[in-house]
Amino acid sequence: MSKIDDVKANVEKGKTKIVPGLVQEALDEGGNPVEILDAMVSAMGIVGDKFSANEIFVPEMLIAAKAMAKGVDVLKPLLAGEGGASLGTCVIGTVQGDLHDIGKNLVAMMIESAGFTMVDLGVDVSAEKFIDAVKTNENVKLVACSGLLTTTMPALKETVKTLKGSGLNGFKVLVGGAPVTAQMAEEIGADGYAPDAGSAAIKAKELVAAA
Amino acid sequence: MLTKKQNLLETIKGGSPDRFVNQYEFMDVAVFLPGFKYPLAPGQTVKDDWGITFTFPEDQIGAFPIHDDAHKVLKDITQWREQVKAPSLDFKDEEWAPAMEQASNVNREEQFLAAGQMPGIFEMTHHLMGMEDALMALYEEPEEMHGLIALLKDYELRRAEQIIDRLHPDALFHHDDWGGQSSTFLSPDMYADFFLEPYKEIYKFWKDNGVELIVHHSDSYAATYVPLMIEMGIDIWQGAMSTNNIPALIEQYGKQITFMGGLDSGAIDFPEWKPEICAEHVRKACQSCGKHYFIPCLTQGLGFSSFPGVYDEVSKQIDIISKEMY
Repeated sequence: MSKIDDVKANVEKGKTKIVPGLVQEALDEGGNPVEILDAMVSAMGIVGDKFSANEIFVPEMLIAAKAMAKGVDVLKPLLAGEGGASLGTCVIGTVQGDLHDIGKNLVAMMIESAGFTMVDLGVDVSAEKFIDAVKTNENVKLVACSGLLTTTMPALKETVKTLKGSGLNGFKVLVGGAPVTAQMAEEIGADGYAPDAGSAAIKAKELVAAA
Repeated sequence: MLTKKQNLLETIKGGSPDRFVNQYEFMDVAVFLPGFKYPLAPGQTVKDDWGITFTFPEDQIGAFPIHDDAHKVLKDITQWREQVKAPSLDFKDEEWAPAMEQASNVNREEQFLAAGQMPGIFEMTHHLMGMEDALMALYEEPEEMHGLIALLKDYELRRAEQIIDRLHPDALFHHDDWGGQSSTFLSPDMYADFFLEPYKEIYKFWKDNGVELIVHHSDSYAATYVPLMIEMGIDIWQGAMSTNNIPALIEQYGKQITFMGGLDSGAIDFPEWKPEICAEHVRKACQSCGKHYFIPCLTQGLGFSSFPGVYDEVSKQIDIISKEMY
């Protein structure tokens, strides 16, 4: 197994303590930082797929994302001059009136792991705050809106409507959360829907690639 | 006509109930026991005896623990011995008085008196340190988590001893949410590793001290935990969402555990609720789950709804379907 494969396997297993050392070893052996990053992104893709299939659970996903973040810390000084290969900026938040953040945080981690630069607006985010974030951040390609409560579905609808009617362009809107369905996402005018964090990362890449 | 208690026992033992058990009718839950501190209305913020701060925002339907740097009780799992102190259980007689009065008013022939235990051990771990820290600590510092969980279990047992001594309950309503709509938070193996033995000990203690019925609340998917629930000693799983495929669970496990739920609160209990929606869900749940090992009930913990009228309408619809099916 090559050192880069070793990095990939250990990110997937969530070995937070050894991944930074393995990344350094891969670099010392002449590994390309971008290739090492791609291997970690690929590992997180596998983690996302397994989560979607209920083969792994929230702790495994959290720990894998943490392992990747520690590996990225080692790479960061070297990636600065390589263009970073970001897929763009993703603005994410839980819609107004909803304080649930666990699912939103998981989605943010997975989308970041897929190669996006994240702007996390937190919870209880008004439609206007989403609009401001699109205006004030560079290269926004995706806005991800989460809602867990049936009572905040009107706020989700309003947020999507406001984003779509804002006259701003260049970004897609992704929605998710326990009460949200693909049909509802379509009805409220969202560009995409994801039922869980793993598929959110896949959908995010699909939406941006198709833009 | 059977009493509510008799009808419950016939239902969970596969006997001859004469109607559906109607939601929480079979038990009176004593919630406001000494040591229980939680905001109950929008606008309230409460710090409990562990130091956990909960807030109930004006526009929400429930309270949340606050986990910013200023409020998080446990900031480093390796420091739990220093940062987490089990509260005193030295309660005064007057603190017990309201619950004892409630207990004395329960007709034990008609209903069970249930002691309320909330939050549960898993919930306590994430109330103390936040969900993400708690879940990652299970991987990164398992021995420390076992130690913290032992402290939480011991506190629950010492408090249980006092509740039993004061109220002599014949049921327990124990809250601990173990998952979301479509999955549990932890794999069954990890859940068993950390929580099975503590819960076996807790539930055995209650049963060894006069409690006949263990009702555990988790309004979630948790079908994969059912064998663990049975091993723990749970008699009724309250909060079973329809995503669990309750008819299949009844078929496989019904003789060992009863499923109370099937009426997902999120789909029924919302601002624009309608009696027709309640009726549709009640009919579907009762017809698909049948008369044994099933109690139709909103999945929300305790006998109320977030929006006025929903709980009572669901109860009315259960009575209607009972007349049709019995």
